[in-house]
Amino acid sequence: MLSVEGLVVRYGPIEAVRGIDFTVNRGEVFALLGANGAGKSSTLAAIAGLVKPFAGRITYDGNPVSGLPPETLSRAGIGLVPEGRRIFASLTVAENLWLGGAAHGSAAERQHLQNEMEERFPILRERARQKAGLLSGGEQQMLAIARALMARPKLLLLDEPSLGLAPQMVEKVFDLIAAMRKEGFTILLVEQNVPMSLEIADRGIVLANGSVVVSGTGAALLHNSDVANAYLAA
Amino acid sequence: MEVFLQQCVNAISLGGIYALLALGLAVVFSIVRLINFAHGEVMTIAGYAIWLALLSSVPVVAAIILGIIVAMLASVAMERIAFRSMRGASVTSLLITSFAVSEIVKVLFQNGISARPVPIVLPAWMSGSINMGFLTISVMSVISIIVVAVSLAALLVILTRTTLGVAMRAAAEDFPVVRLVGIKANHVVALAFAISGALAGVAAVLWVAQRGSVDPLMGAAPVLKAFIATVLGGLGSLSGAVIGGFVVGIVEVFLQGYLPESVAPYREAISLSIIIGLLVLRPDGLWPAPNVNRS
Repeated sequence: MLSVEGLVVRYGPIEAVRGIDFTVNRGEVFALLGANGAGKSSTLAAIAGLVKPFAGRITYDGNPVSGLPPETLSRAGIGLVPEGRRIFASLTVAENLWLGGAAHGSAAERQHLQNEMEERFPILRERARQKAGLLSGGEQQMLAIARALMARPKLLLLDEPSLGLAPQMVEKVFDLIAAMRKEGFTILLVEQNVPMSLEIADRGIVLANGSVVVSGTGAALLHNSDVANAYLAA
Repeated sequence: MEVFLQQCVNAISLGGIYALLALGLAVVFSIVRLINFAHGEVMTIAGYAIWLALLSSVPVVAAIILGIIVAMLASVAMERIAFRSMRGASVTSLLITSFAVSEIVKVLFQNGISARPVPIVLPAWMSGSINMGFLTISVMSVISIIVVAVSLAALLVILTRTTLGVAMRAAAEDFPVVRLVGIKANHVVALAFAISGALAGVAAVLWVAQRGSVDPLMGAAPVLKAFIATVLGGLGSLSGAVIGGFVVGIVEVFLQGYLPESVAPYREAISLSIIIGLLVLRPDGLWPAPNVNRS
């Protein structure tokens, strides 16, 4: 479903991603691991259109999408839950969800989807009229994911969803990811929580300093000592 | 006492006009980080549009509506032509671009129409006064206050009940993520400039009705006061801009009314000193928006 070839991402003189290749198959959970600064978020940002790749090709559903604006990619079915949640703190929870679905479907469809989200995440129904900035970290993460789901993505990019969350919330997040996989979503998961990510991932790669150092199936990576080294060496 | 009440009405009326202009500046700034000094010229364009319309025997109400529409179009055109290519540029570059647009428009009017004021003749009932027994106030003041209230209410509805309006509030906080959910950046920005233009158009109507004329520089002074009002209220904050506008208007009217003759020439200096004083007490503004990047 997604194919990345020779991706290079630069911020001025700094090369964050130095030519990486990987593919994500439809319906799988693909883990993108690595220490801080390894280039994971930059990779997701490039796929979602937030940054323009310096070089390389990104192909989604058979179409070249490298360098297209984020609005177009969102409408094509790529949804990003950004690092740090980035929910709209000054808007209410309901308004956050409303905007999530704004570009997709009629108002009636959106309302239906919003109800679905509130069913799935009861805390959002409870807090619908509250300003999103008042939610706890875990609740904001749920909101960020729900907001992305409002756009009916086919490919869901999750950037460090467990960052800064209490252990029970982390479990909930990974349970959610597993559930979404069963529902047919294709998920590209960037994480620092290696064990839990590899347990639900079908395949994955490990980045260090912008390059791929290890790749393989989830199970293989779980038992691969090179993975730990990549984190420590970087 | 009656004089004091009259001054209050005048203050609220003038404050309302500054509030509308300040709001126009704040709406654009909150989303694009641009302080649009050409905003005054949008006001001037609206004034000239009304003048031309009245000259062509268009009925007053239609002329006013035309003026506001022209202001909206001018504002959106400004964004499309001058500011869109500068998106993401430094604050200084954007500032200079807006000054450039402002100067170009002024010169176009000075040479194209006239450097001198052209008269606007509005219906007689608009220049009358209402006698309420204990108080006599001008019709225009009342109209001003009502129009400002309606405009603010309309804006509130747009910002809370329309998708693009809610998107504008979100964009003020985090523009890239608004694009991530699929909302087109250009649409959000265009709407912001359209709203800004409409507010300038309404302010122009009220301004011109009270002064009876239009000249190429008419927008400059009010917009400067409006800019001061946005800073006073908290740059990037919409409610701050409204509050700032009223404060500037109230200070101006009351100083004009109550300052002793000897100090009268220093009126502007005193008024601005008061504002500086308020800013020293509250550097982020009277009603600042949360986490705004104020370069």
